[in-house]
Amino acid sequence: MKKVSIDPITRLEGHGKIEIFLNDDGDVANTYFQVPELRGFEKFCEGRPVEELPRIVPRICGV
Amino acid sequence: MAKLKLALYWAGACGGCDVAVLDINEKILDVANLADIVFWPIALDFKYHHVEAMPDKSIDVCLFNGMVRSSEQEHLAKLLRAKSKVLVAFGSCACFGGIPALANLYTRAEIMERAYIEAPSNDNPNKTLPQTKTQVPEGELTLPELFETVLTLAQVVPVEYFMPGCPPTVDLILKVVNALATNSLPPAGAVIASNKTLCEECERKKEDKKITKIYRTHQIIPVPEKCLLEQGLLCMGPATRGGCGALCVKVNIPCRGCFGPPAGVPDQGAKLVSAVASIYQANTDEDIARMVNEVVDPAGTFYRFGLSNSMLKKKRLQRR
Repeated sequence: MKKVSIDPITRLEGHGKIEIFLNDDGDVANTYFQVPELRGFEKFCEGRPVEELPRIVPRICGV
Repeated sequence: MAKLKLALYWAGACGGCDVAVLDINEKILDVANLADIVFWPIALDFKYHHVEAMPDKSIDVCLFNGMVRSSEQEHLAKLLRAKSKVLVAFGSCACFGGIPALANLYTRAEIMERAYIEAPSNDNPNKTLPQTKTQVPEGELTLPELFETVLTLAQVVPVEYFMPGCPPTVDLILKVVNALATNSLPPAGAVIASNKTLCEECERKKEDKKITKIYRTHQIIPVPEKCLLEQGLLCMGPATRGGCGALCVKVNIPCRGCFGPPAGVPDQGAKLVSAVASIYQANTDEDIARMVNEVVDPAGTFYRFGLSNSMLKKKRLQRR
């Protein structure tokens, strides 16, 4: 099955790629959106002083 | 003169560095006159295969923001290094690891577990974690490998210049644009910021050089004219490179060190620990214990932006 990769997805904030699989007729059989990154704010914000979080979590997305 | 070829890339980043470039406002037109931008995922539709097809050293300057923690980010760091004459670590993540380097206090397994299984917004009953290869009915999907720790750009490839800041300020970005325009970049290895500490540039009055209690930022309203550290707020100024324009301390907020250590200081956190210890009035073991307890988050305060670049670098992994 033919695969078309869009890597990276551009002109947006964040990282992503799209894999499009084509069947023998050249029609789209299935498409997958993938996020190829993890920084771990979910983990490293835990237990930090709450008054400091307004200076940490803006770096989840700076756009 | 032929136009310069400029590339901008984000690795493990938030996009704030890319937006900082746009914050130079109409001066972006000067950049457009000076350079053709050949790669900039946030703004232009060039793909990785376009970069791979470029001849080596065909990019004049690459501003690389974000830390490196995956095989994809490492690949792009090596690829852009090969394609670029000048590689700039742009922003605190690329220079020091940045805020994402706080993840170095945890193992990769702990982070994955929290993000994909435990976090309340997940719906993942089978506890599926991202895999580097996944078979789907139509074929194979791949994801980059997530490394055990966050690395700085210079821990992966040689770097010509460092532009610290979360994000780098407009003044510093314009300085670099002007240096490019006039072909007057500093010697390789330079940090494009001040050579003084933030403390030396801060206009607040320093008098007492002693503190008897460390306060959390919500516990007091600091006097605007007086040194924040002398008022008992942990301010990273003595251990941080200047050049930011003292943005935080000017609005009565203590520095958190995003410009990294000043020249000659190998470990930013240790430097501030030393500065605090030298002014805290502790005469007994009880005083010392009280002081230690008053610092509620030592790693997250002293190494807010620089854990990858510190001597400790990461949590020690358990031996199996």
